[in-house]
Amino acid sequence: MATVTKILFNQRLKTMMVLAVIAGIVIAVRLIDIQILRHNDYLQLAERNRTQILYQTAPRGRVFTADGVEIASNAPSFSLYYLGGQQDPASFYRLARDFAPYLHVSLVELLEKLHTGAKSGKSVLLAENLSTPSTVALQELQYYYPGIYLIEETKRHYPYGDFASHLLGYLGSMDERQWRKRDNKLGYRLTSKIGKNGIEQKYEKELKGKDGGVFLEVDYRGRVKSIIEDKKWAAGSDVYLTLDFAVQKAAQEGLKNSLTGRGAAVALDPRTGAVLAMASAPEYDPNIFVPYSDQMLAPTSKKINEYNLAIQGIYPPASTFKVITGAAALESDSFDTERKISCYGKYDSGPRIFKCWGTHGPVDFWEGMAHSCDVYFYAIAAQMGSAAIERVQRMFMFGRPTGIDLPGEKAGNLYGPTRRARNKSYWFIGDTLNLSIGQGELLVTPLKLAQFAAALASRGNVYRPYYVSKIVSNQTGKTKIVGKPEILQVAELQPETYDKLFKALKHTVDNGTARRAKIKDIDVYGKTGTAQNPHGADHGWFMAFGAYPGEKPSIAVVVFVENGEGGSSAAGPIAHDMLKAYFDNPQHKPVEKEQAEKTQDDYDELLTGEDA
Amino acid sequence: MRQLVSGRSRIDWMLFGAMVLLVVLGALCIMSAVNSFSWTTPVVRTHFIALVAGAVAFFVGCSFNYQIYDEQWKALYGFILLLLIGVLLFGSYQRGSRSWFVLPFFSMQPSEICRVGTILMAAAFMDRRGRRIRDVVSVFYLGLLLLPIFGLIMMQPDFSSVVVTLPSIIILLFCTGINLFYLGLIALLAGVAGFFTISWTYIYLHPELLDYAWIRVFNDLAHNGWYMGVFAVIIMLLGYGMWWLFRQFRILLPSFYFVLATIVVLIGLVGGIFVEHQMKPHQRKRVEAFLAPKSDPQGAGYNILQAQIAMGAGGIMGKGLFSGTQSRLGFVPERHTDFILAVVGEELGLWGTLLVLGLYFLILWRIIAVAYLSGDRYGYLVCAGIFGMFFTYMLINYGMLIGIVPVAGIPLPFISYGGSNLVASLWALGVVQSVYARRLRA
Repeated sequence: MATVTKILFNQRLKTMMVLAVIAGIVIAVRLIDIQILRHNDYLQLAERNRTQILYQTAPRGRVFTADGVEIASNAPSFSLYYLGGQQDPASFYRLARDFAPYLHVSLVELLEKLHTGAKSGKSVLLAENLSTPSTVALQELQYYYPGIYLIEETKRHYPYGDFASHLLGYLGSMDERQWRKRDNKLGYRLTSKIGKNGIEQKYEKELKGKDGGVFLEVDYRGRVKSIIEDKKWAAGSDVYLTLDFAVQKAAQEGLKNSLTGRGAAVALDPRTGAVLAMASAPEYDPNIFVPYSDQMLAPTSKKINEYNLAIQGIYPPASTFKVITGAAALESDSFDTERKISCYGKYDSGPRIFKCWGTHGPVDFWEGMAHSCDVYFYAIAAQMGSAAIERVQRMFMFGRPTGIDLPGEKAGNLYGPTRRARNKSYWFIGDTLNLSIGQGELLVTPLKLAQFAAALASRGNVYRPYYVSKIVSNQTGKTKIVGKPEILQVAELQPETYDKLFKALKHTVDNGTARRAKIKDIDVYGKTGTAQNPHGADHGWFMAFGAYPGEKPSIAVVVFVENGEGGSSAAGPIAHDMLKAYFDNPQHKPVEKEQAEKTQDDYDELLTGEDA
Repeated sequence: MRQLVSGRSRIDWMLFGAMVLLVVLGALCIMSAVNSFSWTTPVVRTHFIALVAGAVAFFVGCSFNYQIYDEQWKALYGFILLLLIGVLLFGSYQRGSRSWFVLPFFSMQPSEICRVGTILMAAAFMDRRGRRIRDVVSVFYLGLLLLPIFGLIMMQPDFSSVVVTLPSIIILLFCTGINLFYLGLIALLAGVAGFFTISWTYIYLHPELLDYAWIRVFNDLAHNGWYMGVFAVIIMLLGYGMWWLFRQFRILLPSFYFVLATIVVLIGLVGGIFVEHQMKPHQRKRVEAFLAPKSDPQGAGYNILQAQIAMGAGGIMGKGLFSGTQSRLGFVPERHTDFILAVVGEELGLWGTLLVLGLYFLILWRIIAVAYLSGDRYGYLVCAGIFGMFFTYMLINYGMLIGIVPVAGIPLPFISYGGSNLVASLWALGVVQSVYARRLRA
């Protein structure tokens, strides 16, 4: 060959090799991109391709009252799956015949499902929501028939129905916004249920356990090849409330049987601020949400009343406020509790005549409180002025939320001359008189009033109410203390003022309008209230606290019955039942010192005895 | 005939070693890929029969003097035509094409053997042009000679065969040292034909585009004779206009160039129309899958996506032979044939894919080295053509997996399952060995 040709040939060969090398580099770079840089993404896709998961919803953490009653638990729920392909289709009839009696599925339907499963090789759900009795038999049967798989799940169950439903909340499907905001660490699925209200929502993170599941390996057509892993679920943490089961139950039953069936009742422990009961009638039964099927829920969910009257309803406190007016009066040096004022049923303020609800004749401070005489309080309020009353209101933090850890709490409204001045409006003598008997612009929630009652009972300690005491993990056994007593403010009235108020309120229970709350062998202090309602029947209030003789008050109760007409008649019995439920429980009885020491000695003895 | 150089190896051991390694690797991967099939045994058995047949073919390629193809090129040409006509008459119809001879124990695909035969034949023809090898007329004659072969292959139809043979011939022509202008023309031809085909396919798959009038006109070009005529005239005027323009700017090019360019564009159009009329829906889907692989993950793009998932899931080290879930559970389609690289990638990881790539480069480099060493021009041309063939295979198969080339249904020689392909490929390397054995330089 000619040299020139040879050179040209070699050039062309070189060009080709260079082209090949360039192509090789491009390929290698892209291979590195796919196999190293995107390795994790693709690995995940490959895993998702090959695994099908039959999920098992983990039991949610349980909810207990302070006395250990389980008010939210889990009911077992079983699903039966056929995992396909591993059975001889000829034996299906025998299989269906054996299984059908335990499932709410007909024999024909069952056979059909089995055949579809066998034909497609895919897993088929044979039956779900199986009850516990049938599962015992099924559990045995599944060993005789390979390919049949019983999956245990749990469903939320509220054994006491509407018990404390406004505190507990309920479960429901996630909406789009919640799905987007979900915590990825908790492993939510589109079908997962989340807490929608109350504790279920607030402690969702703790209550939700880790779902388990049967991991199946499937091929490209979804045919089951093998079971990779049967992962057990991990239950959520248990939540312990401060509620007292009996008190809460008394409150709910009382409200349900009240005149209108609408109202709220709150019981607090004055020593800590712990919520012993919080009811808002009408309650609802969160169990109705458990079927989780949306079609079933649509009509029922509309009917439920999510409005928590105990923290969201604001009303004038009416005569219960006379305790504040009285406290303001007692604080002034010139006030004489024994001075009598005559009540002829009305009080002339000058521009207007104010009425009393009765005609009480001459009354002193004790009788005025006991019979809730309006004229008496008009007179002392007119004498001392409204500023003093507003000052005491501020001491007990009226007009501000109680600070309980619940969403949507209303603050209510403080009422007084300085507040009025801030709103650039005038204050009249009529306002003072209205204020003195708790009418007018003054508004409180039942919980606020309960906080006041508790503060009064503890001689001035305004606590932040709390309802969750601790959370106990089912995995690690660790206890997390959630609610601790927290004093928001101390109402520093003179000690004698408290003494006199206690005396007046005890007198009201023993001889006055609050007689209904009287309990044998227990010191009960109380005050009724009847809020005038221009739109309908009056609202009934009852405020009380009680103590074992010689002990500090250990429970403060406020009951509100909407349109209940009289505070004494409507709210009184409920408060009585709540107090009685509390004091009937021997566990609440303070352990006497000698006895406690004795028990300790016995215990020590026992220990040493064992040692020896 | 040249005397054998004494004292030197008759075999290029590096080329031989790379080949053997690839074949072993391929056998392992096929066994792994079909591991979960119910018909595992037939595939593995057939592959081993093919390996024996391939070894024989390699031996034949080695031991025969390659110059025999040069001398007997007419007989070779006749044999190729005979085979292709025979398969059209007696072949069995499988998966939309008539490309198989079904024999009692196995079936064979003659177009695979013809692929290598065509290269040998084309090299012989060009070699025989002697001094006029670089004339454009030679290219033209070669084109005429190859037209019946491609025509017969298209009648099966077997697009993938054309897709590999055509670039091989172009690389062969490139290595004859032909003027790059003509090569450019050939590329233009392919480009125009490809452009029309792809555009029409795209419009076919997106009928909503027909709302635009000019797209409708463009689409009708494939079916309306008037439009074709008008378009042809426009192209001719354009060619004349270009020539006139260049002359105005005193860039003097022979008018012959412009005539040729115009003719090429027109032929490209005709080719595009021909392909458009021949194309089957599943082939359109492949183009679609290339244009937008993620548009329909369950449909056409599914294959390529699953193959990429398999490769990506393999990572650097791979999941180990026989343990790739993507391939074992059937997510990767055609995993023992066209997508075998996905199995390599998943089970042997990046090392596996790079090893195969590296071995291919070793082979390509050795073929070029043999071409450099070859004793005569024919040996050089044969090596160039075979280089072109393996280069095209590698480029398309890897390119398809990494998403830069449409899914073409082309196997990866030595690795993929497919007896005819293996036999033909081994024969081709045998011929290269034969060239090496009769080399000129050390």
